[in-house]
Amino acid sequence: MNREQALEAAMSAGVAAGNLLLEYSDDFLRTSTKESLRDIVTDVDKHAERIIIEILKSNDSNTSILTEESGRISASNENNHWIVDALDGTVNYVNHIPLYAVSIALIEGNSLTVGVIYNPLASDLYYGAKGIGAYKNHTRIKVKDRIPEESIFGVAFSGAKYQPETRSEEFLTLERVNDSTRGCLRTGSAAMNLAYLAEGRLSGCWGKANKTWDVAAGILLASLSGSITEYKCVDRERNLVSYIATVPSVWTFINEKVKLW
Amino acid sequence: MKKNKTLLIYGAGAIGRGYIPWVFAPVEYDYYYVETNDKLCDLMNKNKRFTTFKVVNNQYESREVPVKYCYHLNEEIAKIPEVDAIITAVGPRNILSIADNLKGTTIPVICCENDSSVAELLASVIGNHNVVFAIPDVITSNIAPPELVAKDPLSIVTEDGICYIDEKIAWLGGNCKYVNKDELRKQWLAKLYLHNTPHCIAAYIGFIISVSYLHESMQNRKSADIVTGAMYEMKGVLLNKFHLEKDFVDWYAKKELHRFRNVMLFDPITRVAREPFRKLAPEERLIGAAQLCLSCGIIPENIILGIMATFYYKNSDDPDANIKYLIESLKPQDFLKIAVQLHTGEALYQLLLHKWESNLNRLKEISQ
Repeated sequence: MNREQALEAAMSAGVAAGNLLLEYSDDFLRTSTKESLRDIVTDVDKHAERIIIEILKSNDSNTSILTEESGRISASNENNHWIVDALDGTVNYVNHIPLYAVSIALIEGNSLTVGVIYNPLASDLYYGAKGIGAYKNHTRIKVKDRIPEESIFGVAFSGAKYQPETRSEEFLTLERVNDSTRGCLRTGSAAMNLAYLAEGRLSGCWGKANKTWDVAAGILLASLSGSITEYKCVDRERNLVSYIATVPSVWTFINEKVKLW
Repeated sequence: MKKNKTLLIYGAGAIGRGYIPWVFAPVEYDYYYVETNDKLCDLMNKNKRFTTFKVVNNQYESREVPVKYCYHLNEEIAKIPEVDAIITAVGPRNILSIADNLKGTTIPVICCENDSSVAELLASVIGNHNVVFAIPDVITSNIAPPELVAKDPLSIVTEDGICYIDEKIAWLGGNCKYVNKDELRKQWLAKLYLHNTPHCIAAYIGFIISVSYLHESMQNRKSADIVTGAMYEMKGVLLNKFHLEKDFVDWYAKKELHRFRNVMLFDPITRVAREPFRKLAPEERLIGAAQLCLSCGIIPENIILGIMATFYYKNSDDPDANIKYLIESLKPQDFLKIAVQLHTGEALYQLLLHKWESNLNRLKEISQ
């Protein structure tokens, strides 16, 4: 499977899963809690994930898949793997807040190469790949460079169990950025934060110890759209990633405020 | 001796280089250009002239155009001399990329951009109320046949046609028709729907049948039937919706079909089909045209076949090459919603979906 085929497979899977989320948004059967009160899963979530896995496997059965709910699905090619979150923003979804998305990324070797984020409520499909560029629906996207005073930002917090002793610092950071810019949002979807950065709505976003499947596609799309992006795996066992992604003019400003590393 | 007027033309492509010198004769107007294509810019400065050919009665008439200077778009604005008028022919999508250069100018700007909204947009962005819309009623190829290029690598070919310009700047003179707003609107409606719609359909069907030039598409009977059918559908719109005079509409449609068949223009399919998503925009020549048909009770059978062909315009060199990823990966109902931005309840959405398979089969049949 070449990169264009991989991109098309991810787009197909993302939209199919998104359609399912939309179809059942008033009708999901169960929710259960995972690591924290904010970390929940629905039965639709799992069904959507199965659809994605089926589509990705039918296009290429050799690439392994890492998903939020099913964990790692090994295949002959362990060098490349898909990273899948069938529903990023589950709390929003179950509370009928219209901001959630499907997120699918491909890692080849150590490099993020394909990213797809689909917000089914808005019919907004963000997609891109290395060597191809980043798009939203029919349009090529790029970040919109602004100074901090004209910027809004998005933040995604860590789970409550990750370094609880530094947790209050995350709230202080939000306050520092919020009060010296046009605002800082906690949208409930890290994938959508990064997609909004990629298309020029936000000027930057960051997250501490976010799940890899929440942000992999978004980090690639933001980067392809011209953002400065830095990310580090902070807990390999639990697939946690910290990252900062911003437009060029606020990079230094956000790094000084956030002090993530 | 009478001093020449000076023109600064943004875009040394089909219209800017090929057609404008026939409107404003180089013996009376001095030509400066601004161009983003570095190679073209350098060649124009090196040669200091180029030749444009006009097709009249199936023969070429030539005109040599001296070039005072061709500036790169990013060149220091202060270097560009004061001129009598600025002409833009950069393509509607690129208009804002030149806005920085034009900010603060009070010099009249003539927009030859094949989109009537562009002049208003540019006027508001640059704060100059002296921006007017113009309609070059011609087909102008961005290349020339090899025998002409052998004589001059900057050769370019245009049709013989009238340029309609807002009468606000009639003082500029030239070989054109300065008209009032009503006449400009009439000419624009005809250009948009009796030229642009069938013209681009001829190109997209041409791509499906694997030909290189527009006249070749029109030489294929099945393709020509679809184009003629689309023209007929749009004639109905101009008569029933916009109440243009029948004689004018009939004359215009006949003239256009004749132009599409012009074997001397060598108008590349890739030029006419360029940027399919721009042409699929809600108010534009394909979706907008089909919506207009439906609004006055005309079923746009041929136009939706043209729209279907547009969906399958897979050209990796086109700025909208991403259409391939969308059409390859999405189901029809998702493609119409996500890529074409149609709402599921719309009549056109339902019609396109209902006809999807049969139109796809028809395109396959045409392509064989």
